[in-house]
Amino acid sequence: MKKVKEKKEENKVNFDLSTLTLEELVEVYENIKIFIDYLEESKIEIEEKGKENE
Amino acid sequence: MNSNFLEFINKDIEGKKNLLQSLPTRTKTNKKAFNKEIEGILAKYQEYEANIYKYITVKAKSIDIKDSPKSLEQTKERVVALERVKFLLNPSNTYIEKMGFDTLLYQINNYYTLNFKSLNAIINGFFDKFELAGIYLNSDEFDYTCYVHEYMDSYLEVRVSKNKDYKRVSEIFERIYWMNPEIIEHIELNFRRLIRKYSKQLNNYISKLQKEEKEKNNISSLKDCNDKLQTAYLELVTSQQESIKDIIELSKSGAFEIEHYLESSKIRKQAYQSLIADSINLNDHDKMDNICNALEKLKANINELNNYLEFLPLFNHFKTTYEKLIPTDEKQRKTTDLKEIELEIAKKEKELDKLNRKIEGVGLFLNRIPSNVKDLKVESVLKAKELYELYKKYDEAYFNEKVLSVLTSNMTISDVLNLYYSFDYFQKLAIQNVYKLTSYEEVVELSNKFDLFAMDPNNVITSGLPLFHESNVAKIICNKYHLSSIYLEEENLTIDNLKPLLNKVYIILRTHMIEKSKISLNQIWFITKVHKFMIEKESKEN
Repeated sequence: MKKVKEKKEENKVNFDLSTLTLEELVEVYENIKIFIDYLEESKIEIEEKGKENE
Repeated sequence: MNSNFLEFINKDIEGKKNLLQSLPTRTKTNKKAFNKEIEGILAKYQEYEANIYKYITVKAKSIDIKDSPKSLEQTKERVVALERVKFLLNPSNTYIEKMGFDTLLYQINNYYTLNFKSLNAIINGFFDKFELAGIYLNSDEFDYTCYVHEYMDSYLEVRVSKNKDYKRVSEIFERIYWMNPEIIEHIELNFRRLIRKYSKQLNNYISKLQKEEKEKNNISSLKDCNDKLQTAYLELVTSQQESIKDIIELSKSGAFEIEHYLESSKIRKQAYQSLIADSINLNDHDKMDNICNALEKLKANINELNNYLEFLPLFNHFKTTYEKLIPTDEKQRKTTDLKEIELEIAKKEKELDKLNRKIEGVGLFLNRIPSNVKDLKVESVLKAKELYELYKKYDEAYFNEKVLSVLTSNMTISDVLNLYYSFDYFQKLAIQNVYKLTSYEEVVELSNKFDLFAMDPNNVITSGLPLFHESNVAKIICNKYHLSSIYLEEENLTIDNLKPLLNKVYIILRTHMIEKSKISLNQIWFITKVHKFMIEKESKEN
């Protein structure tokens, strides 16, 4: 249980946004949004009834 | 964790993209694993996005300026009240224009040309105006022709009953129309006659209104009204001047691109370089204050010039029509044949009245409905047609007389503005003809624009601009501003170039105001960006 909690803490990004300028804040937000869109578009549609070709 | 979160994100995104590109996607199992990987990254990045969104929205709010609502309402109300008094005291026109009968006459006169949807609305407009003056018309007064009588009798029945069901009236109109397609013209003539018949009562009503409004607004004369209006208008203009909060809100709404105002912007550099003399030190606040005071005036001049150029075809039309009538001396001042036309109308209306009496079998012809009633009806319609043509001549002579009373070779654009502002019927007619408009909405749109232009006490160029002599307005403006170290080229002042010029003026004025304030351009840019993110998020969620 302790291990899981530690892992979770490790994954958390301890980002300090106060060090960023206003331009950097806008840039980082825009880049994240673009990447999210990229990820959404990259998902592959899987045909449920299709035969597995291994 | 990292000194710069932006750097971390950029590197992380690159790494994640590389990772995804290296994953196999050939088989269904590959694809499932690929999608699972994406879901994991997505969850992390959605968390980032939510946290940053929260941070930047709070930050933007903390930078933004608190709204301090302007107390404009009282000044606005004062301007509106004084404009009403000025309108009522206008010495150029009569009770017909002051009551707004001329606008209704224009509507009914152009019923078919401008595709009006409801005749009843126009007719009700006439009744409402008479009733304002305490005149309650009954069906006996609508006897211009037997058809008018029949129609208006049924019309008044519905109006008096207040049930607003005009279905039966429409049926009667349709039946009459096939016998007499000029029924609307005859209704118009009947109203014209009634407006004349009740001139004394209507004039008294206007006098009463003038007295009331003068007392209510503490006005002693037209001059007093104009002076007070000028002061109130200046107050309004001053209190309406853009504040920093207004600039922020305009930027947020997208009314202008804040990027163009940033120091790095080529558009901003060009605005300063093209308008302000090189010798001016842009960091000298006192000098820039003076430049900006002059630019505020230029802004008003640009708006006025824009209005002038928009209505130039109308001024040219007026010029062509009346230039030949300019008297060389007072003795030569031409007069119109208005009186003669009036007498002719009175004579023919009497003849028409006699015919109608025969048709209806009243008065001397009591209960003696003649056998040739059909012929008499035709004759009465022909007589009404003659009268309609006479009224057209009358309108022309009526406006000509008004024009001739002020027509001189030194007439200014401002005089034409005042004339057309005072006579709505003729203004709308001129707009309709000059701009070849085919719908009432288009006419009203331009007419309202014209009235606002005519009423604007900020007009300075047009008040001295001669109508009949050539003058280079652009050159006059350029020379005026050269004196204030503002450089304008004549080509900047053509109708197509006024908007870009105004944008340049705004860039300098707003930048100057921001520089003098507690907020920076960069902060306004940030607030604007965050506002756009908020709107995008809202629309995505809905």
